[in-house]
Amino acid sequence: MDENRNLMELQFEEFRAQLEESGAVREKIRAVISELDNVIRVMQAALLPVHHATTPQSGKEVLNKAKSYIAQLQNLYSQLAEIIRVRPGQYYRYHDHWRNQTHTVVFLLAFVHWLDTQGLLSHSEVETLLGVKPEEFSIDVEDYLVGLCNISNELSRYVVNRVTAGDYECPRQVSAFLSDLFSAFRILNLRNDLLRKRFDGLKYDLKKVEEVLYDVKIRGLLSDQAAPKPMVS
Amino acid sequence: MEDTRLKERKKKHEKMELQEEVVGGRVFGKKPRTAVGMGLAQTSSQGMNPLHTNFQEIGRELDLMNEKRERLVKASRDVTIHSKKVIFAVHRISGLNKAATLEQAQRDLNAVRSNQVTRLAREMQGNDYWKFRRAFSPGMQEFVEAAATVEFAKTGRLLTLAELNRSFLHIKDAANKPFEVSIPDYILGVGDLTGELMRLAVSGIAAGQPEAAISVCNLIRGLYEGFSMLPSLQENLRDWKTKSDTMFQSLMKVETACYNVHVRGSEYPPEMLAGDFEYSRDDHS
Repeated sequence: MDENRNLMELQFEEFRAQLEESGAVREKIRAVISELDNVIRVMQAALLPVHHATTPQSGKEVLNKAKSYIAQLQNLYSQLAEIIRVRPGQYYRYHDHWRNQTHTVVFLLAFVHWLDTQGLLSHSEVETLLGVKPEEFSIDVEDYLVGLCNISNELSRYVVNRVTAGDYECPRQVSAFLSDLFSAFRILNLRNDLLRKRFDGLKYDLKKVEEVLYDVKIRGLLSDQAAPKPMVS
Repeated sequence: MEDTRLKERKKKHEKMELQEEVVGGRVFGKKPRTAVGMGLAQTSSQGMNPLHTNFQEIGRELDLMNEKRERLVKASRDVTIHSKKVIFAVHRISGLNKAATLEQAQRDLNAVRSNQVTRLAREMQGNDYWKFRRAFSPGMQEFVEAAATVEFAKTGRLLTLAELNRSFLHIKDAANKPFEVSIPDYILGVGDLTGELMRLAVSGIAAGQPEAAISVCNLIRGLYEGFSMLPSLQENLRDWKTKSDTMFQSLMKVETACYNVHVRGSEYPPEMLAGDFEYSRDDHS
């Protein structure tokens, strides 16, 4: 019986050591994440003026300012990758720690990318931008998709502001992009989870953008139409 | 209103997709990320909007993932069902049929290991254990519980994680590595064990074997002491808390039972306690 007790104690002692080690890993990750939170916040703030940038020049500046933070993101993600690298197969054990942040990071990167090129940032491009190697520390594909869904929200706001600033081309671009994105999402078989919910939100943003496009079009503000006299309100 | 408009849009898009497929000739896109062509390759990724090509690939990835999760949930459920049967078999043990019942339980347990657990293990490789853990963890916990119950009935001691994983040596995962149960799954399984042990102890007392109750009591006490020194399981915080509580409840019950036997039992000679009970039970049946 005594020997039995010892064996048990020994085992629990070992578990304690291993679980404490795992706790230490979480601490380390948390430290990185709180820095990541800071960078995200600053980058987001730097990007916000894009909504009221009046000249292409100032828009460019805002974009460049926002892009300057990508290096910091890379640095933090490489720190995460380093923590995980020595624990192969345990990526998802700690995934919860950076899941939300990754959503926002994907959103920021993809939004910047869209402002630059009017195109969609692909999953592998996200990984390249963040400087992570897929075999080591991949960006979870569902996280990538949730991040994309967040773009639509921002874009619907962006459209309103661009039109207010007199850019009547913007709604057309955005609506083409969003409806493309929407139809692309419909290719996927989604489960009833967060991603599904986010995707369901996408159509409302699309609708809003289409309404703006409609407003602009019906008033003949689009450039390819013979402009009737503008409405005076 | 909005619905119909959306529907129209959808229709328009489907049409556009079709047209694009027919008209476009350029090949966009890149090689699939998951190079394992699971026979799900879509008809044509040519001539489509690169965005759609991208998403088709992602869709394939998601489908594979969800299918795997479903299979794991099923496998886990099967492991649970069969493990439960093993545990019940152990509970049916009484004096006379002990050896035979125990042997049968052990055989059933081995069958669960080589059938259901092997099926579960074969699905996994690399990141999968932690990624899908929520899908199959209940089954693994139940298996740990069953294996530990059988071990206790045989030897009166706790099955260690090392021993358990040794019994999995011949079970390979998809990457051909031996399957291993993680510490949290083991701990949660053993946490359930105390409930079973408590039942064994109480029915042992009822069958006139107070020594069995005392050995159970010692084991649960050891477990409880061991558990108290562990940091809480971050992976299953809620499970962890409820299990620690139940464990304490079970310990209290067994301790009270032992106390009762000790105090009241001293009023009778032990043979009488047991004999009396056996006799009266036979009488009733």
